[in-house]
This record gives sequence, C-alpha cells and structure tokens, in this order.
Amino acid sequence: MIELLILDTVVFFCIYLIFTLSLNFQQGYCGICNLGLYLPIIIGALITAYLPGRLAMKIYALDPGLDFVHQNAEILRLLKMQLQNNPLISILILLITIVGAMGISALVGYLCTYPALKLPETYLAVFLLSLAESVRVIGMQTREIAGGVMGINTIDPFWWFGTYTYFGSTAFIIGVTIIVFIIFHLMCNSPLGRLLKAIRENELTAQCVGKNISAIKKKVMSFSFSILGLGGCLHAFHMGATVAGGYTRVDFSFWPWLMMIVGGTGNNTGVFLGTFFLVIMRRCMIILKHYFTFLPFDVIWLEPILLAVMLVLIMIFRPAGVLPEKTARIKNAQP
Amino acid sequence: MLPPIILTSIISSFLLSLLALGFTLQYITLSVPNLAYGTIAFASSYITLTMCLAKSSPYLGVPLAFVLGGGISFLLYKFMAFLRDHGISLLGLMISTLVFDLTIYGCMNIYADFIAYTFKAYTRSFTLSEMDFTFNGLPGILLVSSILSITLITIFYLILMKTKFGIAMRAVMENYSLARVEGVNVDLVLSISWFFVGGIAGIAGSLYPLWFYMDPWVGARILISIFAACVVGGLKSVYGSLAGGFIIGALEILITHAFASTLGSWIWSYRAITSILIACLILLIMPKGLAGFISRLREMR
Repeated sequence: MIELLILDTVVFFCIYLIFTLSLNFQQGYCGICNLGLYLPIIIGALITAYLPGRLAMKIYALDPGLDFVHQNAEILRLLKMQLQNNPLISILILLITIVGAMGISALVGYLCTYPALKLPETYLAVFLLSLAESVRVIGMQTREIAGGVMGINTIDPFWWFGTYTYFGSTAFIIGVTIIVFIIFHLMCNSPLGRLLKAIRENELTAQCVGKNISAIKKKVMSFSFSILGLGGCLHAFHMGATVAGGYTRVDFSFWPWLMMIVGGTGNNTGVFLGTFFLVIMRRCMIILKHYFTFLPFDVIWLEPILLAVMLVLIMIFRPAGVLPEKTARIKNAQP
Repeated sequence: MLPPIILTSIISSFLLSLLALGFTLQYITLSVPNLAYGTIAFASSYITLTMCLAKSSPYLGVPLAFVLGGGISFLLYKFMAFLRDHGISLLGLMISTLVFDLTIYGCMNIYADFIAYTFKAYTRSFTLSEMDFTFNGLPGILLVSSILSITLITIFYLILMKTKFGIAMRAVMENYSLARVEGVNVDLVLSISWFFVGGIAGIAGSLYPLWFYMDPWVGARILISIFAACVVGGLKSVYGSLAGGFIIGALEILITHAFASTLGSWIWSYRAITSILIACLILLIMPKGLAGFISRLREMR
C-alpha cells in the first residue's frame, strides 16, 4: 500500500514537473504570460481519450458497429485481451498518441500566437485563460471525443507488463520526465536560453540587434505547448481515463504557477524543488482530509484557500522564490 | 410578450455590460486585469439564493450584494496597492488577483456546502427564475436588470463627467503619476472607484441566477464573455466596454440560437465559445476594438 502511495506521488511529481518546466520556459525565460496552461494539457488528454482506443480497434479489426463511447467497457475488455500479448502494437499506439498529442498541441500553440501577439502581456494571460476554458467546455460537451461530462476510459499501453502494468507506466513517465528535464536544461543554458532572457528583459533591445521577436515567441509557444500536450497525454494514460471537466484552471494552471513561483522563476532547479515541495504537500492534504469529516463542508475547499495563502506569503517574503535566478557573469567584462 | 430568446439576450446584454464596465475600469486604473472579477461578481449569487431559501424576496439581497462585491473589490485594491508599494511587478499584481479568486472560490464553495447542510437544499447548480415576480407577462428580472443597469450607468456617467471626483478619476485613469503630482488623492479615488465597480459587479452577479443557471464555476466561465466584451469595445475604453458588453451579451445568445435552429439544440452547450470566437475575430480585423475603429474614423474626417 505504502509503495503504491510513494509511486503515485512520484508519478504526479513527474507530470507536474513537466508542466512547470514548460511554464518556466515560457514565463521564466521568455516572459510569455500563460495562465491558460491547461489548454494544451486538455488537448493532450482529449487526444489520448480519442485516438489510441479507436486506433487499436482499427488494428484489431473490431466490429465497426461498436461505439467506443457507448460500449467503452466492452471494447476495452476486448482490446486488453489483444494488447496484453502484443507489446509492439502497444508501443506503436503509445508513440502515435504521443506524437499526435504533441503535434496538435504545438499547432494550437502556434495559432494562439497570432491574436496573442496583438495583446499587451497581461491581457494575453486572460486571452489564453479564456481559450483554455473554451476548450474545456468543448471537451465536456462533446461526447464523441472523450465521453462528455462523464468522461471515458482509455487503453493502457502497458497491459503487456501483466501484473506490473502500473510499474511499467510509472517507469515510462519517470523516463520521459528525465528526458524533458535534460532538454529544458540544455536549451536554457544554451545561446537560445540567453536570447530568451534578453527578450524577456527588453524586447526592443533584442529587436534592435536583429532578432525576430514574434518568430521566436511562436517557436517558444509551439515547443512548450507540445511538451504540455505530452504531459496531458501521460496524465490521461496514467489515470486510465479522461474526464475533460476535471482539467480545471486551479489544478492544471494555478498550481503549476505556484510551484514555479515557490521554486523561483527562470531557474529549472528551483522549479524542480518547488514542484517537489508542493506535490508532497498536496498529497498530504489529500490523505489528511479524511480526518476532517466532522466539518459541515467538504474540506477539499480549503485547498484553494491554502494555495492563496501560500502565494501571498511567497510574494511578500520571497518574491524571487526559494532559489532565485542566478545573475549571469560575463567573462572579461569591464567594471 | 417577448420571445424567450429576445428576453434572454436583453438580460444577458445588460448584465454583461455592467460586468465589462467594471472590468475595464479596474484594468485602466492599475493596468492589471482582475482575474477575480467574475468570482467576486458571482459570489453575490449566493446572497440571492440565501434570501430565497429564507423565504424572502430575492431582490432584497441586491443592496447586500453591492456591499459584498464592493467590499471584496476594495480589499483587493488595498492588497494590490500594498504589493505595488513593495515593488511587486505587474505580473505579481495579476497573480495577487488570482489569490483573491482562489480565496473567494474556496469560501463560496464552503458557504454553498454550509447552506446545503443547513437548508437541505441543492446549492451546486440552480436557477431562481421561479422565485421571480412577473409584470404584464414580463419577468421581473427584465425590468429590474434594465432599470438598474441604466440607472447605474447614468450615475457612473454623471460622477465621471460632472463632479470633481470624476475629474480626479479621469486624471488617474489618464496618468496615474501625473495625477498624484498634481495633488490628487490617488489612493482615495481608486479605493472609491474599485468599491463602486465591485459593487456593480456584485449586483450583476446577484441578478444572474434569477434568469440563468448558476454554479460556483460561472465566475470562471463568464470571464470569457467579459474578456470578449472588453476586446470588442477596446481594451482601454470605458464606453467601448459598455457597448462591447451589449454586443457580446446579445450576439452570444442570438448567434447560438441561430445555429441551434439549423443544427440542433446541442449547440447551446457551446454558448461560451461564441464570445471567444468573436473576440479572436475582432483581434484579427480590429485589434483596438470599437473605440479604436471610431477614433480612426474621426481621424479620417
């Protein structure tokens, strides 16, 4: 039991780390204020709900009369019988889904920049938040994509692990997170990272030295949206189901923001620490809430208030986070 | 007797124009969009619900809603002013509006649970249209929302254009630092204006469940429509936002109805998306909204 709890915490830490690293890349390095972080996350989750199950149905030529939403449980039972003996097909489906989720999320990120670049920074945040809420409404209301309000179960590409399915899924998520962390670390410490910081500090100066700001921002948005889409896809696979209504702005946008702010914006190590600390804290809250059943309200509503209080404390006492961004030293610079 | 669709679009227009007015005014004064605005407005809906559960007229809650919305808005302003004085950036100030959004959201849900526990009533998704009165076959909310909206907008216009306080307020909106140098008590002006527009939002929120379905997430969803109204009106124009509110409030209903008549009633589920699509379209063809379009026409003459 305790092993499962630890594994579950590790998985959530990994998934949230993907979200916060991506947010840090946009906000911490490039200064793109994205409060609609859950937009690509929902897209990734919706694609995971829609694509792999139907793809597997095609591969195994299941009766085309079967409806993936209506007869979800029956179809998944049939697919499990096939997929648990066929690791290659399972991996292929997993890869296609990931590529699809990342590709479509990147495209949405690219398209978002067109209206977004015409808005001041703070209004951009509201625009992306509104757009994310709209996609959530689409996900909740369109039964054909992800079962509508009730949601839908998805296939598990790790059924071939047999009794170790959960461990296989966990190992895969940990592996992907390590790769994502290394990619972001290398990118942020390369000339690209310094260019992004230059844009964040002063767009006009960067423009004056010949940098195409809007093209760079489009690339940053597309790349980070694709990583967020990947995170959404992994989350949906791990949960085994997609409920579009569950992808709320508090859980999938504001919490990653808090994790980034607590750790320190513009610093991937700080973001790592912030995510770790807050995921542990949230897990503790979920466990401890069962001891507060005597209250005349659901104790889960104290969570947003606690989040708010923490934000206030951090903003007042450590506005730069636990590990603030390091000031870059230029060699041979004149004093 | 007006068809229900026209009634809905009129009521929606009046309520949204009030909300867009407050949102824009707050944005102009501090250059920060108040992300808690929708939640502040719709927290007042629970006052209306409480009035109804206590077997009282839902309209008795309107003054209380004004005080609640205004009070929270005033506190938010004070909090933001405190942070601004401590050197917090614009982004930090925007995050501080999130702090309020989350706090009010949490408190609203706790209160919803509490009254559900006390009155044994369903408080998560409700409409109070059955508790409303009728006048000559018209629902009371139509009369009350139109009279209140016109009165509040007129009062706001008179304060802004005909009083010394209005001159000070316009000066602060135009140039915060210059107004302070000229001796305007900026803090007092902003405190009163934030209280006033917060109160207006509270009134709009308290009237909402008398015609529409209400749940604790409406505040987050309505932010889409408020944002669209501000984009259509022009991001920094108070009068533009009023016009934008009327246009989006009406179009959101009428366009969805038009599609629903041809494609089916399922389209109604996507009502919230209509406004964001209009906002995207406006951003692409008229980035400065109606206000920008009108000023360009003036320049051409």
